[in-house]
Amino acid sequence: MADINPGFGKELKKFGAFDFNACYNCGNCTAVCSLSTEEDSFPREMLRFSVLGLKDDIKSSLKPWLCYYCGECSTHCPQTANPGELMMSLRRWLTAEYDWTKLSGLLYRSLPLTISAFILLAIVVLGFSINEKFNPETIMLFGHNFELLAIVMVLVLILLPNIIRMWWFIILKPKIKIPLSKYFTGLWELILHMFTQKRALDCDDNKFRWFEHFVLVLGYLGLLFTTVVLDWFSSDNLVVIVFGYLLSIVVFIVTIDFVWRRFRKSGEISKYSRPSDWMFVIWLFLMGFSAFMVRLFIDTGLIVNNFWMYIFHLTILVQWALIIVPFGKWTHFLYRSFAVYFAKIKG
Amino acid sequence: MMNKKIGVYICHCGGNISDYVDVEKVKHSIENEDGVFLVKTTMFACGDANQKEMVDDIKKNELDGVVVASCSPKLHLITFRAVTERAGLNKYNYIHANIREQASWAHSDDKVGATITAIHLVKAAIAKVRLAKALYPYIITSKKAVAVIGGGVAGMRAAIELSDMGCPVTLIEREHFIGGRVAQWNLLFTTKETGKDVVTKLYDNIVRRDNITLLTGSEVVASSGNIGAFKLKIKKTPRFIKEECHKGKLQEAIAACPVTVADDFNFNITDRKAIYHNFPSEYPQEPVIDMKNCTRCGECEKICESVDFTEKEKIIDIEVGSVLMATGFDSYTPSEGEFGYVQIENVVTLPQFKRIIELNDKKLIFRGKEIKNIAYIYCVGSRQIEGDNKYCSRYCCTSAIFAAIHTKSKFENINNYHFTRGIRTYGKQEVLYAESLKKGDIYLQSYEDDPPVVNQVNNKIKVWINDILTAKREISVEADLVVLVTGMVPRADNSVASLFKLPKGRDKFFNEIHMKLRPVETVIDGITICGACQGPKNIMESVNSALSAAAKSFSYVSKGELELEPIIAKIEKEFCTWCGACAEACPFDAIKLVKDEKKDIAAINSSVCKGCGMCLPVCPADAIDLVAYSNKEIECMIDALAGE
Repeated sequence: MADINPGFGKELKKFGAFDFNACYNCGNCTAVCSLSTEEDSFPREMLRFSVLGLKDDIKSSLKPWLCYYCGECSTHCPQTANPGELMMSLRRWLTAEYDWTKLSGLLYRSLPLTISAFILLAIVVLGFSINEKFNPETIMLFGHNFELLAIVMVLVLILLPNIIRMWWFIILKPKIKIPLSKYFTGLWELILHMFTQKRALDCDDNKFRWFEHFVLVLGYLGLLFTTVVLDWFSSDNLVVIVFGYLLSIVVFIVTIDFVWRRFRKSGEISKYSRPSDWMFVIWLFLMGFSAFMVRLFIDTGLIVNNFWMYIFHLTILVQWALIIVPFGKWTHFLYRSFAVYFAKIKG
Repeated sequence: MMNKKIGVYICHCGGNISDYVDVEKVKHSIENEDGVFLVKTTMFACGDANQKEMVDDIKKNELDGVVVASCSPKLHLITFRAVTERAGLNKYNYIHANIREQASWAHSDDKVGATITAIHLVKAAIAKVRLAKALYPYIITSKKAVAVIGGGVAGMRAAIELSDMGCPVTLIEREHFIGGRVAQWNLLFTTKETGKDVVTKLYDNIVRRDNITLLTGSEVVASSGNIGAFKLKIKKTPRFIKEECHKGKLQEAIAACPVTVADDFNFNITDRKAIYHNFPSEYPQEPVIDMKNCTRCGECEKICESVDFTEKEKIIDIEVGSVLMATGFDSYTPSEGEFGYVQIENVVTLPQFKRIIELNDKKLIFRGKEIKNIAYIYCVGSRQIEGDNKYCSRYCCTSAIFAAIHTKSKFENINNYHFTRGIRTYGKQEVLYAESLKKGDIYLQSYEDDPPVVNQVNNKIKVWINDILTAKREISVEADLVVLVTGMVPRADNSVASLFKLPKGRDKFFNEIHMKLRPVETVIDGITICGACQGPKNIMESVNSALSAAAKSFSYVSKGELELEPIIAKIEKEFCTWCGACAEACPFDAIKLVKDEKKDIAAINSSVCKGCGMCLPVCPADAIDLVAYSNKEIECMIDALAGE
């Protein structure tokens, strides 16, 4: 038995959903969805849960993560209830629910708070640089160490506990029994999907978008590896340098296309952009572009008189690592892959 | 008589007949029948060329009997009757033989048999035409006046329409105030007028007219006569308040009345005095004293000289050519315990809820408690699996959703929960459903065999449903008020209909002759029906039917006389010994006992008889014949059908 919670609609609207109440349960959305199956049918069910405000059912569901937002459902909805955008909003809401710090929810709901957080970090970086008297060596060394530290800390303090919470909501709380061996045999699925988003290929007419996304993920992870492990900015190895250039170019070229599409509102997926969506693509672009420019400045010697370029890059990096990665849209990278993994082991 | 000159036409019907029936063989085998003067076969008897040829044949040869052997008489009987009339021959001298449906199509597997059957059918038709006589319609006078029974929107609109056509109307309303159910509705979809606005518009229009007599507090208590001349006896109960009155004083008089009774205008959610009116500016504007509850204490009389207890009940006799019934509906009253009705305080019906919305301002308060969460349970008293009300009441989905939206816009923080069996906001009303969804109303749905359950637990009302829109999950809602969306049922007191012997359908609403093609006529000639007395309708549909009933009723009285079909029953006076069996068998009440040369005999009212023939077989003396279907005619036809 479940009680209706009419207030949930209002809460969800703060995460971007709108007009989903207009749904009259025809089920066209589920019928046209190429990812929906008989066992895992969506998005109508999710719309229904949202209308009734059945929070526990939404929290224990993996379905929002199994949708890759091709937008067919919204195109075919006779009531313009926008099921696609509702699924997107549920993903934002779930991200906030999984986050034990509750910061995700605060940032999703409030744009002023988000902007304040970005400004605050920029001031900290600037203050630190002034304190270090704009000494390139110490600041760049700090930058490199910060990267290493941030990766470990965010992973241990935020992402890992949040994944455990997701596991609690989906497997433990509903008391689903899964033999331990399955957790191991399913691991391949986790890795495969994390790096390929293979499932998205089943969306209709989605091949190019999938390819772009695939290249971007590899480019991003490659750039992360090059800067953190191979220490691109300080490297003398020609192969590493060229490799870094190529990867940063990939990142900012692909993100330009992503930003441009959101700007033109082309296709259902890019029609409705929340601040969290804009920030994710723009900061990813700035990351790639500023990294590229820093290395270019180093190679052309410009960096000596234009150290501001590195400080700019560092600011972007800090904002990215401390806001977007732990509390923003970056987490969809993890939750999506784990959703496929949990779905697999639930059987 | 035996020397009739008969013309016979046998139709190929393209091939529909001639593919299976040997049309030439039929022609040859009847050529020598008694009286047959001319036999022709034709490709299409109904074709213009053949019709013209028939007219010429009849005129040239002075034929006095015509048979066409072709399709069903339903298709072309009237066509060929018209042909004989154009040729100057009385149309009852035309007889139709159906050799398409009854021979060719029925026996397409047996051409020889089909031909034999066709020959027999044509011979029978010839046998009948030999005995056919010229018949002429009965002409009766018809009084140019119509009685409209029921002063709701349908009755008022019909009265105005009849008045426009120049027909005097007596508008008879049982209540002391006109407007019927619509006066009780507040805001209406889609025009955003109130029920009061609609009623006022109609009333203002009616009182301007000299040819409409409005009788309130009046009931038809007896009826005699028939189409063209219905004699109605009307009982008019007085208001006990004189026509001219000083209004301010009357308000004081109402306040002074010590008697309080449940106010049925507000569906008993409020009280009124024994001297009352339903709402300010209601029509007619004078209040009324309800003598059933008045104690005659005289308090009102002391204050206002207009009060007059000496007024007496009046009997008014009128004669009209046609009666238009617009007696409306009752709202279904749930039985005790049906979804908690009566047993749980805050369970009300939709009509009550509409009054509650109307009677509250700013805050929605019922029984001292503010209402925020409202659960609507649909199809209460409609679409029942068991019971009489199997029908859908049509108006209730729209009405409930409109009330829900109206409540949300009038009061703050309202949550609406609709427990439906599928929403039927047909036509333009669908926009309401969409609007209510967008406003966040929540819809749940169940099957008829698994209705929602209403329970009171610790002073809180909870409604449970196995919601089929959520995979039959059990969902519950806490509600401050439960509204039972009740449908329409026939008037509990429909005694006026029994005066006219109006037939009712299985749903107990009045029945029309043909739902699609004759939707406002009844089998009782001269009586039309419209509005919700015929079945659930919304205002628009009621007014639509009212206008067509007005036109139909007017057609009965407009010329001052009526032509009636001559094919009716006839009493052979010498054989009749009055046993009454025929009068009992007659479904139209057309047979009455009369004295004739010191003998009791039956007499047929030719204005009422429909020629159905029900009286014929029950007559022990065989004293009744049906004109044009006399025993002799039928026997001759049987002989022909059974012959060689």
